[in-house]
Amino acid sequence: MKPAPSPTPEPKIALIGNPNSGKTSIFNQLTGLQQKVGNFPGVTVDKKTGTLDLPGGIHAELIDLPGAYSFYPTSKDEKLVVQSLVQPGNENYPDAIVYIADVTKLEKHLLLFSQLKDLGIPVLLALNMADVAEQEGLQYDLEKLGRKLGAPTLLVSGRTGEGLEQLKQLLVDLLAQIPATNVPIDSTQYRLAPEEAKLITQVQGDFPGYTPYQLVLLAHHIKWLPFLTPTQKQVIEQAIENTGFQDLQLQVYETMQRYDQFTPIVQQARDKDGLGSASFTERLDDFLTNRFFGPVVFFGLMLMIFHALFTWAELPMNFIEGAFGGLNTFLQNNLPEHWLTDLLTEGIVTGLSGVVVFVPQIAILFFLISLLEEVGYMARAAFMFDRIMQFFGLNGRSVVALISGGACAIPAIMSTRTISNWKERLITILVTPFISCSARIPVYTVLIGFVVPPTKVGFVSLQALAFMGLYLLGIAAALLAALVFKLILRTNETSYLMLELPEYRLPVMRNIWLTVWEKVKTFTFEAGRIILIISMVLWLMSSFGPPGAVKRAEEVARRSAQLKNLDETATQDLIDAQVMEASFAGQLGKFIEPAIRPLGFDWKIGIALITSFAAREVFVATMATIYSIGHQDDEYSIREKMAKQRDPITKELIYSPATSLSLLLFYVFAMQCMSTIAVVKRETKSWKWPLIQFAFMTGLAYLSSWLAYMWLS
Amino acid sequence: MQLAKLKVGSKGHVSHFTDNCMACKLLSMGILPGTQIEMVRAAPFGGGCYIKADNLLIALRKSEACIIMVR
Repeated sequence: MKPAPSPTPEPKIALIGNPNSGKTSIFNQLTGLQQKVGNFPGVTVDKKTGTLDLPGGIHAELIDLPGAYSFYPTSKDEKLVVQSLVQPGNENYPDAIVYIADVTKLEKHLLLFSQLKDLGIPVLLALNMADVAEQEGLQYDLEKLGRKLGAPTLLVSGRTGEGLEQLKQLLVDLLAQIPATNVPIDSTQYRLAPEEAKLITQVQGDFPGYTPYQLVLLAHHIKWLPFLTPTQKQVIEQAIENTGFQDLQLQVYETMQRYDQFTPIVQQARDKDGLGSASFTERLDDFLTNRFFGPVVFFGLMLMIFHALFTWAELPMNFIEGAFGGLNTFLQNNLPEHWLTDLLTEGIVTGLSGVVVFVPQIAILFFLISLLEEVGYMARAAFMFDRIMQFFGLNGRSVVALISGGACAIPAIMSTRTISNWKERLITILVTPFISCSARIPVYTVLIGFVVPPTKVGFVSLQALAFMGLYLLGIAAALLAALVFKLILRTNETSYLMLELPEYRLPVMRNIWLTVWEKVKTFTFEAGRIILIISMVLWLMSSFGPPGAVKRAEEVARRSAQLKNLDETATQDLIDAQVMEASFAGQLGKFIEPAIRPLGFDWKIGIALITSFAAREVFVATMATIYSIGHQDDEYSIREKMAKQRDPITKELIYSPATSLSLLLFYVFAMQCMSTIAVVKRETKSWKWPLIQFAFMTGLAYLSSWLAYMWLS
Repeated sequence: MQLAKLKVGSKGHVSHFTDNCMACKLLSMGILPGTQIEMVRAAPFGGGCYIKADNLLIALRKSEACIIMVR
């Protein structure tokens, strides 16, 4: 045997399989923490790659392609699989493929495998769920199956790790044989239809290196494949016309031929039938998807998630804020008094704290959601709520995002990843921030008393009712906005449900931890960068002003404090208030005052609107600073102070019911959260959608505040 | 008869599809002419249904269940 010429330094191996084949479990088993998430160029689908260490010191790059049923895609994710595999030389074109099929559903999982075989890329067939097959007594003659299907075949389990060492060894053998097997293929697994055969002969000359089946696929997908040159397109279009190539008919023809071919092979290679585990799942579903109990259980589960987001996250969030606060105090005490120190403490450290503080909520939400996903429950939720959500242009899975949005829009928006239809996912992302999140609670608490008296109607306090009203308003806005987007947004992607409901299984904890880890990492490093920059800009704006203005304001404040005989804390509070007024943020507040006058807002509220962009609850702290009670920023004392504020000229109360209601409505609707914007940018991979979102949310806020103020004043 | 009209609990075999586009997706999931389908239950808020095709459990919208003709 002559020494195999060493394959390319880092062979590319693609992991391919149907949705629910357990591909991700295998990927996690093979790569562990050595994985990273990148982008497929031009689309919003994540590209997961990892390093695979093979025997003999070979390092391979493992690409986890999205799950797909066939080469006839119905979603963006599936299109990527086609796009990566029909063009030899594409940057994701693999040297070898590991095909994952669920051994308990083999007859259903081999269609894509059979199509892959026609690409001429070496394939390894890994039959997953070996542990389940063993329990059920299902047995295959692997040697026979592999010989008839034309690929090395083995049993693996993503749950127990069984068979993975053998998989690596077979992969090494497969890679070593590559040069030998690298002969051009001139046939297909199925009998070509006459039109297909004719089309192939007509276009072959223009596509050197393509297999016949790849040419057929080019003809099927000519409308959307992005890499074809105009000349190539013309050649294929001409051939389609000449041969009478019918897209859908040929698709059905090919699919049926393939099934007819591999179904008998599978049946003949099956030594022993399994008992089937579906019965347990079906009995559980009698309850969990029951017309009445199904939704009840679902809302119970959602309530638990919601509760967990609020209560479990509180302790670590307080700890994080405390730790960063402590770090800030330490730095301020030990570094020289200089604007650089302030930049470090109030700009950078505070900004970092603003990023890290979201980590507990993200971790908790993804822990619970991926737990539900992993056991197979999420598909049921999508099924139960499909009809209602469809009406609003959303997906059954959007319910989870909308409910989590009640705690925080950031993890909620990140959770939309599982919605495969792009339009439905985008609408979910766009409307989720309307749901009142926990950061709005302090604002509502401070303001609601100015609008509604603390009286009771029967057992219920009016203020509590108003509070609930604000929440309902957010929900209504989200659903109505979704309806509007449903009508406005155009898509050529057809929406399907056709959802496989996987059997209920015990969760694989490794998969859950890896999901949590990945989500936290992406948020911190990708959205975190944007949050940090904006928070530094906000700090610069509120601590610097036009040259000299800040210094002058400080001196004026110090002098008037001396005149009034104020103590040290009160003096500092007064200085902070005057500095805030003189700063760029103060200037901007005054600058936008004419624009927000019609809403009943003065420039002080204007400043709060601007600083709230860091996070809505900053409203409270800003109010405290402006009214120079910065050192006692609890909600009660701020309310007291605000209740006394009068207009210097008209002597009317500033926080009149009209202004307060208008301000409340503004906080219900407006997009005032840089972290959400950063996450939307990351999830939609462009600035277009966060900007549109910012515009329509703020527009709606302005309009409703204006109407409310007009009506009440 | 349309699959959508099948009573809960009863079974039928796929004879053909009346929409090529949706048929392609159903075929790729393993619902073929001849496949036995059981109507397991209707969706909680109406519209969709939960079916069992061989050993696959699948959720379908009404529009999707309407294009599958069963015997």
